[in-house]
Parts: sequence; C-alpha cells; structure tokens
Amino acid sequence: MTTASARLLKLALPLIETHGFTREALSLSVLSLPTPLAHPLPDASVTALFGQGDDARRTLVRAWLDDATHKMRADSAPMALGDILKARLKTNEPVLQHLPEAFALLASSSPVLPLDPTPVLKHAAGVANQACWIAHSDARELSWYTRRASVSAIYLAAELHQLTSPRTASAFLDSLLENASHAEKALDETTLFATYVWKSWKGIIKSSGVVF
Amino acid sequence: MQQAARLLRIPRKLSRPTYRLIHNHPSLGPSNSSGRTASFGFKTVPEESKESLVKGVFDSVASKYDLMNDASSLGVHRLWKDSLVDKLKPGRKGPLRCIDVAGGTGDIALRILDHARENYADRETTVEIVDINAQMLKEGFTRFKKTMYHNTPQVSFHEANAQELPPSQFKDDSYDLYTITFGIRNCTSIPAVLSEAYRVLKPGATFACLEFSKVNNPLLSKLYDQYSFTVIPLLGTILAGDRDSYQYLVESIRKFPSQPEFAQMIRDAGFSTGGDFDGGAWTDLWGGIASIHTGVKV
Repeated sequence: MTTASARLLKLALPLIETHGFTREALSLSVLSLPTPLAHPLPDASVTALFGQGDDARRTLVRAWLDDATHKMRADSAPMALGDILKARLKTNEPVLQHLPEAFALLASSSPVLPLDPTPVLKHAAGVANQACWIAHSDARELSWYTRRASVSAIYLAAELHQLTSPRTASAFLDSLLENASHAEKALDETTLFATYVWKSWKGIIKSSGVVF
Repeated sequence: MQQAARLLRIPRKLSRPTYRLIHNHPSLGPSNSSGRTASFGFKTVPEESKESLVKGVFDSVASKYDLMNDASSLGVHRLWKDSLVDKLKPGRKGPLRCIDVAGGTGDIALRILDHARENYADRETTVEIVDINAQMLKEGFTRFKKTMYHNTPQVSFHEANAQELPPSQFKDDSYDLYTITFGIRNCTSIPAVLSEAYRVLKPGATFACLEFSKVNNPLLSKLYDQYSFTVIPLLGTILAGDRDSYQYLVESIRKFPSQPEFAQMIRDAGFSTGGDFDGGAWTDLWGGIASIHTGVKV
C-alpha cells in the first residue's frame, strides 16, 4: 500500500466507531486530512485505493486489527499476561457492535470456501504472540508453541464471550487463564509420568534379552 | 439543440483550430531538433515524429478498428472493457462528469453511459470523448448515431492531444472520472498524459487506464508472443490490407512499461494508488495480457 492510501486508512480508523467497517468510513477519511477535500471520496476512488466491494471493508478490518495489536506494544510498562489480554479486550469496546460483522467479513474472504476460519485464527494467534512477547514469557522449544496456542485459544474464547456479554468478559478471561494454568500443570505432570513409564518399560524389555 | 449539435459535430468542422494537432506536422519546422527519441514499436524515431507516425497508423486502421479488435482478440477485448467499467461502477453514487481520452470509437463511453443508465437509472452522467485522430472520432460519432445518446448532452466529441489538453476547454479540477483505454502506449510522453489527467481531475476523482501489459507466466508469454507476432499482422493484411500498422500495434505493446513501473509513473504524476501487487495498484486480466491501472487524485 502506498503512503497516501495507508495514511487514509489510518484516518479512517476513528470513524469506525460511528460508521462501522464500511466503505463510507474509507470515503469520509479524506475529510480528516490536514488539507481536507471538499467532498468524501467517490465510490470508484475507494475501489481504486482499497479494493472492490467487501475487499475494501476487509482492508479496513485488517488495518484496525493491526492497529490494535500495535497499541499493545505501546504501553512499555511490564504487565502480566492476563492484564495484557484484558487491555486488548478493552480496545474492542468502542467498536464492539461492529466486530461480529468484521469477523464475518474476514471469514468470508476465501474465494473457494464459503467460510474460512483461518483469518480469525491468525488474528488470535497474532494477539497471543504479541501478548507472550510483551509478558516476557519464558517458554522454550515446544512449550513456546504450546504456550502461544493455549493463549490464542483463551483469547479467542474471551473475545467471543465479549461479543455477547461485554461486562463479564474480564472475569471470564481470568477463569480461563486459571484453568489453563491448572491444565498446563496437569499436562506437564502427565508428560513427566509418561516419560517415567516409558523408561521403565524400556528397561524391562532390555533386561528380557531383546536388543534395542 | 443547436448547442448540442455543435458539440457533436465532427471535429474537422469545428471553427476553432486550436484543438487540431498542428505541431509535429512533417512540413513544419526541423525534425529531431531536440535529439530526443521515442519508440515506435521496435523502431526508434525522433520524438517529434512519433505523433504523426501514430496518427498515420490510426488514420489507416480507423475504419476497420472494431473488426480488427474482435478478430485479433477473439472478442475478448469486450470482456476487458466490461471489466473496466464494472470496476468503476459509474453512476452508483450519482452522476459523473467523465472524460474518455484516446476513446475515438466510443467503446468505453458507450459502456459508461449504458452502465449508469441500466443499473442506476442515471441519465445525467456525461462523457467527453477526446482523441487526437479525427478519423477515429468520426467512427465513434457514427457509432453513437445508432444509440439513444446521439444529440444529447451526455456525449460529446473533441479532437485534442492527450499530452496537452487545451486548458480553456478542459479546465483544472473539473472531471470525476478519467479513462484511457488501449491508447496511452501510443502517446509520445506518458508522464505528460498522466500530468494532464491529474490536472483535469477533481480532488478525490479516479484515473483508470486499461492497457496491454506484461504477461508474467512464461508459458502463456510464449504463446501470446507467437500469436501476437504471427496472427495479428496476418489478420491486418487480410482484413484491413495493412500489415505494417498492426505490426506496429503489436510491437508497441512490448515496449510499454511493466505493471509496477507504470504504477510508479502514475504515482509520480501525483496520484495515490493501491499497493504494488495484482489487485492493488493494478488488476491483471487474462494473466497480464491486459491490465487495469487505477489512481486517485488525493
């Protein structure tokens, strides 16, 4: 995207609250330029800059999601993972009524599949990755991925909960994080126990004369 | 009615000579005084001669232009032009004042007016067809006589140079949509055309160009080259009796900048575009055989 169209996209973000993720918000962005145009952009110009039909709306949705993810980094104070995710959920609040349609737009972006969850999953994964990075997660090797996968699932569940019940979203997130830590601990212990069992069996089989 | 008739008159009958191409005529002034050259197909010619050479080509092909387009592209050019107009959706948000440059035979103008009328019941959108070549404009005028737009303010014909649109008639910041279809590659200076387009468009208005472009797929590119250099000039000989003109047309396609290069030229003229990818600043048609480039004056 060129500088000018990226700038217009940024100017369109505050308009989402009142106009939703619409071509109209993109069209009105030129009125917020330092030297504003006299009229909003015509439809053909919105198409030329941002894409045809719903593609322009998807461009706006992606820009908003990127901006929200970028804002997560802006606060440089060290925070716990739960607080970071809560702050990210708070970013959704001004545009909450438009988010279901935004996610539906993303999910319907595939030319092949009628519904494609990949963009929504990528969004959750991006938030989880950013949150773990900010929280200085000490996960290594395989646990780096499992940690992010679990945070991603937790965030996605909390965000979906927020769409229907915004007031209880924080409490729901806390309960999920607590359950996740219990589940993680249980999984680690299960893995350790399984390792012991495997070593034991390996020893028994070796001592019975079978060569490994 | 009389005013409408004056606007629709065939350009050579216009009383004002200022719009006629009088410079670069072979009999006027020294040729190649600047030493600058331009490409005329695969040949390199003095810059001053290119306009008259291109004029000669289109004087020759004008009467069979539509037939040759259909024969050489197997009718596909109609689909491309439909794609362009469908992308622009003229009339969707109200009537537009459009200028179609190098639009002599009126293909795009007719599609714009039909699209606005049939989809949005818009009978206020206007198109001013501009072409440097009187013969091509004559063909367009004849075509429009068969339509409901003849003798209405919705269409008018003007002979003018895309690189130097007379400011007295084509004022600054006055058009909502500028289109140029399969014409910009014939101009001597593409930046000059783009600069004029920027000048006459209103702030926020759209520039759209449909032009032959670079095919990126190597297999398709080979097949396309074979077809272009073998079949099209042959068709020119058979259908129009003019192999050389069609040879030029095929060669001129190969000399045109690639999609990213042309997109950058559009930005250099001051337009804003989408990103440098297919679907952004340009949209490839049929693998890049043709491409729609768009820009917005912001």
